[in-house]
Amino acid sequence: MKLLDLTGKKILITGAAVGIGKETAILVNKLGAEVILIDIDENGLKEVIASLEGNGNQFYSYDLNDLDGIESEIDKILFGFGPLDGFVHCVGIRSRRPLSMMSPKLLSEIMCLNFGSFVELVRCVTKKNNFNKGLSIVGISSVSSLRGSAGVTAYASSKAAMDCAVRCLAKELASKKIRLNTVVPAQVNTPAYKDLIKLKGDAKDDILFRQYLGLGEPADVANIIAFLLCKGSGLITGSAIPADGGFLST
Amino acid sequence: MINPMELTGKQILVAGATSETGLTIVNQLGNLGAKVVMLDIIEKKLPEIEDITARDNVVLYTFNIYENAEIEAGFNQIVKECGVFNGFVYCGGIGGVRPLSLMKYDFIKNMMNANLFSFVEMVRCITKKNRFANRGSIVAISSVSSIKGLKSKTAYSASKAALDASVRCLAAELSEKKIRVNSILKGWVETDMKAAFIKSNMELNENDDLKKQLLGIIDPIEIANTVAFLLSDATKTITGISLLLDGGYVL
Repeated sequence: MKLLDLTGKKILITGAAVGIGKETAILVNKLGAEVILIDIDENGLKEVIASLEGNGNQFYSYDLNDLDGIESEIDKILFGFGPLDGFVHCVGIRSRRPLSMMSPKLLSEIMCLNFGSFVELVRCVTKKNNFNKGLSIVGISSVSSLRGSAGVTAYASSKAAMDCAVRCLAKELASKKIRLNTVVPAQVNTPAYKDLIKLKGDAKDDILFRQYLGLGEPADVANIIAFLLCKGSGLITGSAIPADGGFLST
Repeated sequence: MINPMELTGKQILVAGATSETGLTIVNQLGNLGAKVVMLDIIEKKLPEIEDITARDNVVLYTFNIYENAEIEAGFNQIVKECGVFNGFVYCGGIGGVRPLSLMKYDFIKNMMNANLFSFVEMVRCITKKNRFANRGSIVAISSVSSIKGLKSKTAYSASKAALDASVRCLAAELSEKKIRVNSILKGWVETDMKAAFIKSNMELNENDDLKKQLLGIIDPIEIANTVAFLLSDATKTITGISLLLDGGYVL
């Protein structure tokens, strides 16, 4: 038996057009899984799908800001695809805004997409007949959930909310044999990181100051996500697993 | 004799001040010498409130603290009439229990609004130029639910975890202005026991969740004292923490 094996498993991945979501789709597919990919970026999804093996993979262009439409969308998708063994939520927007320019509206928007869509998706995929026993759910959090830094109040609170919801839901859904965890990356070499570097300019060295193993690659994070989806991690639930190059230890 | 928690000469704003815990906080801050400005959604005509507002170092303002659009104008008025603040306490917020299968985002959003959005908006409004003193201190009342998972308390817990995360970020950001921001993770408090949702929560979470609180139930005065501690100069360099006040609940 291989430790990482997802043969015949069906996995839903949101935010799958770029970065960590994209690498996760590629990796779990290589490990034998069929995937459903959701993202707002249809062209990006088409590229990812084209690089995958097998004919059962599907993609849907959907804006997860529309929480009210998620239930019917998921029911429709899973009616054809069959019940899920895994769900990975990679959708999320970064936001940088000093307090003086913050507003409840901005907080609410970030919370809705980063956290609201996660809980709504978890609710929908854990409905009867939408999942198989052993379903593993993984959310992508951030070290900012655990460590404060200036200007990221909205983003950090949405990720802390996700980590906390996973603790509560892991307990609540344990009786259905469902596990939930989050992966907690520090800086990862994604388009969002490249934007940050541009923004920071000369101060870019500070960004990785505490991350003493250096910048992570999306594939590094995808490995950890894949492990959490596999049976081998069957004892892990309600946890926030660091993928942080040492960030949280300093 | 010295009192390191002395608050004489400080003006403190307490939002959510007419709850039982809020009133206890206001009363104790007053006892420690502070001038206290109370703020809450409605002016309930309870005798306890009348007693406290009768003190000459306490004033009460009322507007809907959960209506985001009202906060800025409300704070403009308060600051205009009361001057510079040395401390801000947020003990507003709401509770609630709901299993995942019945939990739509409206329920979560309502909780986030009362427990996070209002807090951040108030911090923004009170830390504007010339409104908050150098070395001022901000304290938010959070809950151990922020760090411990409980069935059917997802929305409440997540809103408190979000509050604590905002406290860390705001502490980092406002350190430039020498403003401190902390929260208190409270366990079961005596006043909680009167709330209707607690009973259902107890039933949902096996056994008696209270038993986890090894030192027993918390008296609101202890919360008031801890708030005073974090507001006072005794904690000049404590910032960004979530202080456990839980009788050993998380052990």
